[in-house]
Amino acid sequence: MKKLFIRIFKSSGLISLLLLVRLFTNQTHVLSQESLKISAIPDQNPERLNRMYKILANELSKELQVPVKYIPVINYSSAVTSFRTKNLDLVWFGGLTGVQARLQTPGSKALAQRDIDAEFYSVFIANHKSNLPVINDIDELSLLRGKRFTFGSESSTSGRLMPQYYLKQAKVSLSDFQGGRPGFSGSHDATIALVQSGSYEAGALNEQVWEERLASGEINSSKLKVIWRTPPYFDYHWVVQPDLDNRFGEGFTDKLQNFFLNMNKRNSSNQRKILKLFGAKKFIPAYNYQYKEIETIGREIGKIR
Amino acid sequence: MNPILEFKDVSLISTKTSRLQKINFSVWSHEKVALIGKSGAGKTTLIKIANGTIKPTKGTIRLKGVEINQVKRKARSCIGTIWQDLRLIEELTVAQNINAGALSKHSFLWAIRNIFGLVNVDLCKRYLELVELPPEIINLRVDMLSGGQQQRVAIARLIRQSPELLLADEPISNLDPELVKKILSLLLQSKKIKNFKIPSTSIISLHRPEFIKDFSRVIGLKNGTVLFDLPTSEVHNYLLKSLYE
Amino acid sequence: MLKKINLAPQIICFLPIVAIIPIGKDIFLDFHSGGINTLYKFFSSALFPSFDYLVIENSINGIKVTLSIAFIGWIISIINGLFLGLICSDIFYKTFNTPKIIHKIIKCLLAIPRGIHELIWGLLLLQVFGLTTWVAILAISIPYSALMARVFADQIDALGTRKIYALKSSGAGSLEALITALMPKLFPIIISHSAYRLECAIRGATLLGVFGLGGIGTELQLSIQSLQFKEVWTSLWILGIVVFTLEEIIKLAQNSFQSSINIRSTSIILCSTLFFLLCFSFTYLKSIDIGLAFNFIPVTLSHKSHFIAALKDLEIIRLSLESINMMLLASGLAIGAPPLICLLLPGEFSRKVISIIWLVLRLVPIPLLAILFLLFINPSISVAALALGIHNMGIMGKILLDTVNNTDDRISLAIKASGGNERVAWLYGKLSPKSIAYLSYSLYRADIILRETAVVGVVGGVGLGWQLQESLTSFAWAEVIIVVSTFVLLTMIGELISEKLKSNLKNDSLSLKAV
Repeated sequence: MKKLFIRIFKSSGLISLLLLVRLFTNQTHVLSQESLKISAIPDQNPERLNRMYKILANELSKELQVPVKYIPVINYSSAVTSFRTKNLDLVWFGGLTGVQARLQTPGSKALAQRDIDAEFYSVFIANHKSNLPVINDIDELSLLRGKRFTFGSESSTSGRLMPQYYLKQAKVSLSDFQGGRPGFSGSHDATIALVQSGSYEAGALNEQVWEERLASGEINSSKLKVIWRTPPYFDYHWVVQPDLDNRFGEGFTDKLQNFFLNMNKRNSSNQRKILKLFGAKKFIPAYNYQYKEIETIGREIGKIR
Repeated sequence: MNPILEFKDVSLISTKTSRLQKINFSVWSHEKVALIGKSGAGKTTLIKIANGTIKPTKGTIRLKGVEINQVKRKARSCIGTIWQDLRLIEELTVAQNINAGALSKHSFLWAIRNIFGLVNVDLCKRYLELVELPPEIINLRVDMLSGGQQQRVAIARLIRQSPELLLADEPISNLDPELVKKILSLLLQSKKIKNFKIPSTSIISLHRPEFIKDFSRVIGLKNGTVLFDLPTSEVHNYLLKSLYE
Repeated sequence: MLKKINLAPQIICFLPIVAIIPIGKDIFLDFHSGGINTLYKFFSSALFPSFDYLVIENSINGIKVTLSIAFIGWIISIINGLFLGLICSDIFYKTFNTPKIIHKIIKCLLAIPRGIHELIWGLLLLQVFGLTTWVAILAISIPYSALMARVFADQIDALGTRKIYALKSSGAGSLEALITALMPKLFPIIISHSAYRLECAIRGATLLGVFGLGGIGTELQLSIQSLQFKEVWTSLWILGIVVFTLEEIIKLAQNSFQSSINIRSTSIILCSTLFFLLCFSFTYLKSIDIGLAFNFIPVTLSHKSHFIAALKDLEIIRLSLESINMMLLASGLAIGAPPLICLLLPGEFSRKVISIIWLVLRLVPIPLLAILFLLFINPSISVAALALGIHNMGIMGKILLDTVNNTDDRISLAIKASGGNERVAWLYGKLSPKSIAYLSYSLYRADIILRETAVVGVVGGVGLGWQLQESLTSFAWAEVIIVVSTFVLLTMIGELISEKLKSNLKNDSLSLKAV
């Protein structure tokens, strides 16, 4: 019996040795074929992001003739970090995270944004049970004092930065909420779910996500309502690494930009689907300078040092 | 010629009870020395100093004319010790314990092979035979043996080491009389039996003086000093009396 | 005059439960029914997890990644732990006659990796190495190596130098003497402690996943964030089944090793198993193309003025007090509750049920527990402490049952025979003999809980953990360094205090894991 055991383990050792050899011979193979790694801040339900970016990766790969891989990340700051550490080449950032990423990765630049991003809004929503009225004047945001309130992610522009900025203008500080602090749901979808369930009485999120969920009937409007819409600001945009031309050939970054800018002109059902999933009619060029205001607010609130 | 072991003005001062004061003696080849005294007289300490486990506060110890600190590690193996508590490794088998006596002659790899039981045990069987233990126990763990058997395993380990000088700390204190004779005769015989080298010189501590007649010389220790150091024939009863009072 | 109160150790086991009073009060006051629906959905999903093919596939792949990370990190930490433990032990310098001061320095330096929770290691390493699986592996193996080094050093020193000196006096070399005298004794200790560490490594790897480093933790976090409870339960069930099976296998293996004395066959089997696991894990991680490449991207360290500004800005004292408060509350719950529950619910069947509940509690990562509680309780220190305490209760409960099961039945049988009921028999026959061992393990656990406040702070919005997350997401390195150093300092002080208390317990026959 014992001998049998030893024999089994000896053979298993041999197998593992073979596996190890295979492992190291494989490695050189993988390195030779470089792929473009794309990602996005996880602002919505992950299944949805997965669907969206798989299609996008396929289209990009077809159009640019390079392997493209979608790498999901779990939170906003790890998207920024992974971009800085060159684990990601092209990332769909929010306003704040885009600024953070570009500050930490010298030479990287904003590539494109959606038509709606140049004039983006956040909405404050409330559960009907909270008895919060629709707010007409920014100062009335002070009604949120003492309520259970949630933001989205800590680093979200539309789900935290801008709402907090406007709350501050209405002289509502974060410690004014019930429990002495706001919640951070993590994503816009989570904010909707938590306010709808009543865990939080009110919250702030991205208007585009709100409109979409409203249209698709995922929101129970007998429970939720919009109480305020913020003034417009610049938000989401694609940011690229500076060294793509070196790695994928001269003019690659321009090709990449053209891919997005001409998406609406191409006659491709997949690309139209992508635009629809992004909630946009078209992509337009984005420039680093457009996010100066976001940077100032970020510094004011302490999210950019 | 140098004595095998030489103590010169050896003193040990410590906060504990074990103290020695100005010990001077030399042991020559083929001497059989009995070290006697009450418990606490300093016998164990003296033996530990002799094998280099304890460093004395003052004085020098020479092994074959070389100061003990200068002795090369491998040359150390010319002293073999049977400890009062035996210091066998309970988790190892009899054979592995016997082989542990030969660590000075072998490499690190051999030590590892020994722990894993990959060293041939046939040699060890002959040592078992020598100490009159049945060869079947060779692969038993030592903590499964009786006290007397363990004692003999310790002797087998010592013989495996083949030292020239034997130090034994009360090797017979807990044994029944029948066994005592066997063990003493084993430790004290100086001739070669079956190609085994039994240490020719020995210092054996005893806390009772019954068996000193088997020795050639007796050192009496009292309160950390040498009370007498005489050939066995000159040790009179009144000396023993004053030693144990 | 200070009057000395003598409390029996078995009573002290129950005392920490008073922590339930402040926690209970806060939770009662902060309770709101807002999330009850959601909570109901969560629990009802337990029985009807998602059987969607994709969800199951994702969970299984996730658990494979988590296990691979845990295995690799675990094996690395055993090897490092043994090596470092040997070097740190007093026996080492006594045997090799190397300068004592070097060992003291190494020993002190090891307190730093040990004082930082694996999650913080993960978050920090992520910043310099980027998103690779190595980050998770390193995050586990760095603190675990130091932890194991400490345990092994203590164990080695407990063995004493007598036998090594004996072998050395016969002319054996230091290394040979060390190996021959220590290995046979150390071997079973290494096996049992390492086996215990494996479960910790799996828990750690799951937690790292919650923060984005891949595996089942990531799956759990993604599905709980989108409130997909059915999917959460699919992952939880799979995690539970895998860990339960693994524990049973380890128990079986340990029993068979204990009965066999042959160090050779045991080590051959162990080494080949470990080697096989290692290769398998590497191959798996490689095959799913998770980054295994190492590239170092340095962070531009802050200027001195940043540090000064950060020191002024951060309310280090308040944050530390919050963390300590949280630790005390959570430890009270984790230490006091298991004996009480065992006392209230005697009998074989309820024991079985309890042990399964405890398994679930220690498998659910703390942040997920906290998210659940936040559904119906307003955020406060108490919620964070509750999550932390309940998770650790699962661990303490297991330790209690394990140690108590090892107590022999004689006393409790005698009590039952003389007419005592089940509860009295358990209290005096089973708990009493082991209460000191349990308490000293509790002290060790309290140290760990202090480290874990980092994890729950990230979610609950309190203490140093919260500040760490804020500073990390703001990429304020000066603050990060200050907060992490504070953590190290706190855990060092904590260790000193618990060591002092442990020696006051005056028991030298502590159970193995208690060290």
